[in-house]
Amino acid sequence: MNALLISAVMGVLMMFSSFMLKSKSAVRNVALAGMFLILVANILDTYGWHLFNIPTEGMMHFDRFSLFFNSIAFACTFIFFLLSARDMEKVGINYAEYFSLIFFILCGIVLVASFQSLLILFLGIEIISIPLYILTGSDKRNLKSNEASLKYFLLGSFSTGIMLMGITLLYGHAGSFDITVLIKAGEKPSSLAIAGLLMLLFAMAFKVSAAPFHFWTPDVYDGAPTVFTSFMATIVKAAAFIGFMRLFSTAFYSLHDQWQMVIAIITALTLLIGNITAVFQQSIKRMLAYSSISQAGFMMLALFALNGTATEGLFLYVAAYSLATIGVFAVLIKMKDYTFEGFNGFARHHPFLAAVNTVFLLSLAGIPLTAGFLAKFYMLKAAVEAGGFLWLVIFAVLMAAVSVYYYFRVIQAMYFKEGDAPVSMEVSRPFQWVLGVLAFLIILLGVFPNALLYWFYF
Amino acid sequence: MENILALAWLVPLLPFLGFVVIGLGRKYFSKNITGILGSGVVLVSFIFSLILFFDVRNGITGDGIVHYFNFIKVANISIPFEFQVDALSSLFLLIITGVGFLIHVYSVAYMHEEKKEHFGRYFAYLNLFIFFMLLLVMGANYVVMFMGWEGVGLCSYLLIGFWFKNNDFNYAARKAFIMNRIGDLAFLIAVFWIISIVGNANFSDVFEFARLKEFTATDITVITLLLFIGATGKSAQIPLYTWLPDAMAGPTPVSALIHAATMVTAGIYMIARSNILFSMAHHTQTVIMVIGTATALLAASIALRQNDIKKVLAYSTVSQLGYMFIALGTGAYVAAVFHVMTHAFFKALLFLGSGSVIHAMGGEQDIRKMGGLRKKMPVTYWTFLLGCIAIAGVPPLSGFFSKDAILLSAFEHNRIIYAAALFGALLTAFYMFRLCFITFNGKFRGTAEQEHHLHESPATMTIPLIILAALSVLGGWVGIPELIMNGGDHLSTFLSPVIALAKDGHGVSHSTEWMLMGLSTGLVLIMIYFAWNRYGRYKEEKETAVGKILANKWYVDEIYNKIIVNPVSKLGSWLEEGMEKTGIDAFVNNVGRGVNYLSRHFRYLQSGQVGSYILLMVLSILLFFAYQFFIK
Repeated sequence: MNALLISAVMGVLMMFSSFMLKSKSAVRNVALAGMFLILVANILDTYGWHLFNIPTEGMMHFDRFSLFFNSIAFACTFIFFLLSARDMEKVGINYAEYFSLIFFILCGIVLVASFQSLLILFLGIEIISIPLYILTGSDKRNLKSNEASLKYFLLGSFSTGIMLMGITLLYGHAGSFDITVLIKAGEKPSSLAIAGLLMLLFAMAFKVSAAPFHFWTPDVYDGAPTVFTSFMATIVKAAAFIGFMRLFSTAFYSLHDQWQMVIAIITALTLLIGNITAVFQQSIKRMLAYSSISQAGFMMLALFALNGTATEGLFLYVAAYSLATIGVFAVLIKMKDYTFEGFNGFARHHPFLAAVNTVFLLSLAGIPLTAGFLAKFYMLKAAVEAGGFLWLVIFAVLMAAVSVYYYFRVIQAMYFKEGDAPVSMEVSRPFQWVLGVLAFLIILLGVFPNALLYWFYF
Repeated sequence: MENILALAWLVPLLPFLGFVVIGLGRKYFSKNITGILGSGVVLVSFIFSLILFFDVRNGITGDGIVHYFNFIKVANISIPFEFQVDALSSLFLLIITGVGFLIHVYSVAYMHEEKKEHFGRYFAYLNLFIFFMLLLVMGANYVVMFMGWEGVGLCSYLLIGFWFKNNDFNYAARKAFIMNRIGDLAFLIAVFWIISIVGNANFSDVFEFARLKEFTATDITVITLLLFIGATGKSAQIPLYTWLPDAMAGPTPVSALIHAATMVTAGIYMIARSNILFSMAHHTQTVIMVIGTATALLAASIALRQNDIKKVLAYSTVSQLGYMFIALGTGAYVAAVFHVMTHAFFKALLFLGSGSVIHAMGGEQDIRKMGGLRKKMPVTYWTFLLGCIAIAGVPPLSGFFSKDAILLSAFEHNRIIYAAALFGALLTAFYMFRLCFITFNGKFRGTAEQEHHLHESPATMTIPLIILAALSVLGGWVGIPELIMNGGDHLSTFLSPVIALAKDGHGVSHSTEWMLMGLSTGLVLIMIYFAWNRYGRYKEEKETAVGKILANKWYVDEIYNKIIVNPVSKLGSWLEEGMEKTGIDAFVNNVGRGVNYLSRHFRYLQSGQVGSYILLMVLSILLFFAYQFFIK
């Protein structure tokens, strides 16, 4: 509750700051301070320091699951601000509003992570989506950005429709939006309930960009300003996954057998399309869009398995994936040329950036000693423990092998090719420090995953 | 007591530090600093070794096991990192650091013409070698020993190929490494075998296990045989001996240190250390005895017709190692260790002497082009001569006592082996004096320019020679048999905690023992006389059929090439061409191509048209519904 209210207030505050504060750096600092405050408030909330006490009428429940994820998401956003706040200012003149929109998105994220009623879930999803449509189109003079925004909006509306339809069908079955009622009603499943469940599943699959509902992802990620792609592909996607997990591990857990096969098919399709299509991409930004689809495929394994390992693994995965992807994007933003060739000879000109970028890419590819490896390991372990679908695990491993190809293409370009690797803006010392810390965190989590998971329990 | 053993870790650590410092600073240190540093750390190690040795002798170190940390701990297997400083290892410590120090000092002069960084590289390797050798000897279990074992192999490789610009030397280094690997593999399997049965590899536990007779006969035979194969690699026995003569490509002090005095005796150390196991495996003992004898004779016969001064010494080393194995095979472990010690003295002396000669001759190694060096290099000559007398086994020099102990043990066991070993000893006397006479007597046969440059080596080279000569002469006193001197045979007494004495004591009467000594001494003197007659004045050796076979080393290298190397490399090139390129590579590449092909077509799904996206999504939703409600 702490974080929800503070981030809403911060959103409003940032809108005011656009005309109250004259300098960009002041706005930036307010945003950073606010972000830090939200993170601290959420941690306080986790350990029983509730700043506000507002009855939610059972529609929200701030349990360890949601608060722990909130902390991960806020910490990632904080790092994202540290790395990319300056780049956000370069997108357009309404720089304060961008911060404001992001704070509103964070409100949505809190809702999605802690809903106890389908209404709140819907509300959360929409609060996330609408600011994102705006952010996608924030580069107003750029046709690609506008096109992406419109596409996103049209397809998003379509998925919203599906979701509402699903919620309606479930209401028809159970007579309530409340998760606890749904759990009870799930003991006597009807076709109505199954149809509603599937529609909710498709709508959530759309939000996490799982195939075959992923079509918006490459176009939107590619068209949106790169800073916002970074935010969308990491924190927002992680939140959608947490909502997905929360919904299906509670409300529909008893119907697990009913939908497990559908999830398995979606997972396999996502892994296949995400990885295979990424191979042929020439633009790194677009490759990262497909990579985010393929990573979503891996995270789908947690939903498929739905056991203790899966929950822990999903937390580790969203943290590992978000940190690494934020890092890669932060480096990418600095580049003039977003193609693979643009990175040729990068290591010679920027050895430090190339080194940390390599760590991020290794983590994404799931190489041992990085967080990405253990995250993938947890996912596979969860899927194996769920039993019966060994083909899916083997397929996932093969697809992970394919992913090595396109991640290592970047490393190859940085280290083994000749070129100037032109950067579009200077790289400041603090920026490098933050990236270094990020890389260190990834390796730390790769060696001691419990450094993170410990906080889930204690 | 604890204080003393607490110093044990310093002994190997110092040379290691030397390696690190010299290795890193090789471009900055002057040759003098490098030399002082490199020799200094070994000298300090030697002093610590001396302290340890005397404490062990006074019996105040107990079992001498010092525990440092748990090296490997997996499931119920635990391999601690422990040192064991007992009679056997402390004796080897003395040999390694003592002889090692002399050779370091010698090297300062010998390698003086190298460039600064290569000079540093040489001493770094040499220090590293000492470190690994100490690790090998001090380890309290087979795993630590194996680490040292591998390490010395590495250093040997690095030092044989020290002059890496000469490709022949690189081949020699590679050959040494590969031959050693074959033995190492057997050693490793033996260690695994032991761990799988005993549960760990600590010497104390393994030997206790053996003492309680808990090994089956098969286990003990296989384990000891595998250990022995490991020893044939490192200690250059048939069939793995061929690398040692080629290893003479390295600088001569390296040959003295690694390929004569220390590393090649690692196999003997290992078997002496495991004497409890070997005493229980009679079949293995027979194998060791026969292989040792065969190696001793084969190498001695080859040495008869070699003209490279270092090659003669190399084959002599192989042959002497064969003697040590005869001792091991007949259960005379003390005699083997004794011979290791005396051999370390006189063979290091002979190698360093030959190095002095080569140095004076400007790199020439062919003895046919030498001759008459006696007057120009008196110190080298006299020390070399003493070395020859010692190795030939003339009383009262050290070689006599150790060789006599081996011959006696062979006599007790098997008369045929004894006869063969005695014959080998005569060959030894002959080829050593052939070498000595051709090199130092007669007239000088080199070029005028070489003659002009002939000089005695500097003091840093001759002083080690003199010390080693003294040791060669006097080193035998530690093992003087009871027979000659009452209260003699210190070595057996000293080693008795580690090496159980032969069960049945001496099986021969005193008169027989005297007679055997007399016989071997007499025959050896006759052989020396023959050699003097034949080579006192240099004459070209006649080409004979046998001589040709010997000069070509029994064509063993050629036979190995024919029956092992060529088939293996044929198999390798078939695997490369047939399997790798057309099979595995093609498969992998085609998988990659397939993925690329798929990728190219998958991307057409992404048309950019919102309408088609929605169509595809609706279609998939319908399919999922159909599956859920009608198919499932």
